[in-house]
Amino acid sequence: MIATAMSNGAKADAKPAAEHDIKITGRDVRVFYGDKEALHGVDVDLRDREVTSLIGPSGCGKSTYLRCLNRMNDTIAGCRVTGSLMLDGKDIYDKSIDVVQLRARVGMVFQKPNPFPKSIYENVAYGPRIHGIASSKADFDAIVENSLRKAGLWNEAKDRLDQPGTGLSGGQQQRLCIARAIAVSPEVILMDEPCSALDPIATATIEELIDELRENFAIVIVTHSMQQAARVSQKTAFFHLGNLVEFGETRQIFTNPVDTRTQAYITGRIG
Amino acid sequence: MTDIAADSFSITSSDARARNARALDSSRLRARYGAEKRFRVYGAAAIVFGLVFLAWLFGSLVIQGTGAFRQTQIRVAVELDAGELGLSGTPDREALEKAEYQAALRASLRKTLGVGSDRGERRDAYALLSNGADLEIRSRVLADPSLVGKTINLWLTAGADVDTMLKGNISRDVPENKRRVNNRQIAWLDKLAADGRVGRHFNANLFTKGASSDAELAGMGVAIVGSLYMMVVVLLVALPIGVAAAVYLEEFAPRNRWTDVIEVNINNLAAVPSIVFGLLGLAIFLNVFGMPRSAPVVGGLVLALMTLPVVIIATRAAIKAVPPSIREAALGVGASRMQVITHHVLPLAMPGILTGTIIGMARALGETAPLLLVGMVAFVVSQPATPFDPATALPVQIYMWAGASERAFVERTSAAILILLAFLITMNATAVILRRKFERRW
Repeated sequence: MIATAMSNGAKADAKPAAEHDIKITGRDVRVFYGDKEALHGVDVDLRDREVTSLIGPSGCGKSTYLRCLNRMNDTIAGCRVTGSLMLDGKDIYDKSIDVVQLRARVGMVFQKPNPFPKSIYENVAYGPRIHGIASSKADFDAIVENSLRKAGLWNEAKDRLDQPGTGLSGGQQQRLCIARAIAVSPEVILMDEPCSALDPIATATIEELIDELRENFAIVIVTHSMQQAARVSQKTAFFHLGNLVEFGETRQIFTNPVDTRTQAYITGRIG
Repeated sequence: MTDIAADSFSITSSDARARNARALDSSRLRARYGAEKRFRVYGAAAIVFGLVFLAWLFGSLVIQGTGAFRQTQIRVAVELDAGELGLSGTPDREALEKAEYQAALRASLRKTLGVGSDRGERRDAYALLSNGADLEIRSRVLADPSLVGKTINLWLTAGADVDTMLKGNISRDVPENKRRVNNRQIAWLDKLAADGRVGRHFNANLFTKGASSDAELAGMGVAIVGSLYMMVVVLLVALPIGVAAAVYLEEFAPRNRWTDVIEVNINNLAAVPSIVFGLLGLAIFLNVFGMPRSAPVVGGLVLALMTLPVVIIATRAAIKAVPPSIREAALGVGASRMQVITHHVLPLAMPGILTGTIIGMARALGETAPLLLVGMVAFVVSQPATPFDPATALPVQIYMWAGASERAFVERTSAAILILLAFLITMNATAVILRRKFERRW
């Protein structure tokens, strides 16, 4: 109830509305693991060229919600999703949607940097290769360079493209994973606690990067760090015990939360 | 209320302190260290016990078996007289193949030893050399027909009894009537040795020849080729089927009662006695499909069935060991399930799969019982040209030689075991190297 109210109230933004077309609309999204309901009817609208952060204590359902957006939950046995999730007006869970193509449009970056045990070049080129986006060597080279540049890794990696991606430092690996995700030109990038395994400096680099990527993509980030949510995101959704408690402008959530639970969480009393 | 609580706290606290004091008591501490020391001694003793028996086994094998790798030979000046060979004019190849090499050899031998016309003396003289000695001359002549009419000095394989005696396995102190080499033969051998006409050379027969009732002509050639054919069949059958089954069970199969039953049965199959697989092979491959008896292809199929559960279990373990983060990464960029498996999971699991397969094959290589039932205990003289021809296998050859009565087969049995062990060690070392080389850390 509150969530819907908040999402309506979130329209007061400085930038013109046209720039912020709704990318993904979620209505009454429920997730079941077997008989257990893990997410109790969530309504969140994700806007293009905007960072939305999902916060909340562990086990609150924020990662579950994130994984609904590119159907990574499909791989979990006994997991069922109801409600409607529309990407550009098309139901993500419609039978006609090919999950492989969906994931090309909705990329993902994981909690632990997980580059393939292949070369840096191959890591980035893998997505375009399996989707047939590029064919010639020159195309691949261009995509790899472009993606690494966007991920802020080109200068560090250009001389060692043939070396294994697993040999990079943790922060570099995570940027490589971001480059790999953007190499297939997705529209939405999901990030599941992308900085939780990184040191503060690498975290700052990734946060800057997220801010730059916002120019081109809709970004959804799950984070345990409220400071991070406050720094990088425009919209924030607070989850608690499988419920969406509050969703709105980040500034408003952190300065003037409507719900007492939100206030308790951001001041460190629950979580 | 609070007083009671404080009291009980102080009691428990002093209790704990007393307990700690007891634990730190030096006699208890010494007892604990003593227990650890004893346990270490037991462990070390167990290892020493095992090593002693291993050393004993290897030692006795090496001591008994190395002799078989060298074979006594006697150098004879063979007169390749055309008349003695029964040749006339310029003989064609067919004539050369059918020539009387034995007659020529026996004549030359008689001359060398100064043997008269006494039949018993002649028989003793001929017994110094192997029955196959004339064939060695034949192959020489066939390779170079111009030798006809010349006299050539040839190292010819000695008879098994002579070989055994000269290796010291038949004592000269045994009374003559109980000795397989008589006094006359010993006298000849001593004379030949004094002339430098007796020597020991590398025993190529051991690696090339097939079965023979003459120990000096018996070899493991057929068994080695038969075992190689079988290993190829095992690899071609067990690896693809095993990997496909494991991938299906691990990646696609739903978790339900049926897959549980299959899983339990695969684990049970790995423990089924091998002779049962032999009976299965006999019933199905020979009786139902009418495949040839004694053929490596049948033996290979039986061993493949036996190896299959090992491959499946190893492959599943290797697939499970691929970190889920790699699967997620691939799924996240939009790889299909099939692409995740072929591009990421299988390449990363491959070292584990190959290790399991090689270890399964090594087990199959040493397996005897199932092969007995599909007729691979056979007296096969000639090399099998294809896997469909009769052959034996290394362990079966050992089994057959171990049962042979001649003294000369004893060292050959040990040598055969050494050869089999060499194959097994090579295979296991390959597995270890593969695992080391492709081991990955995440």
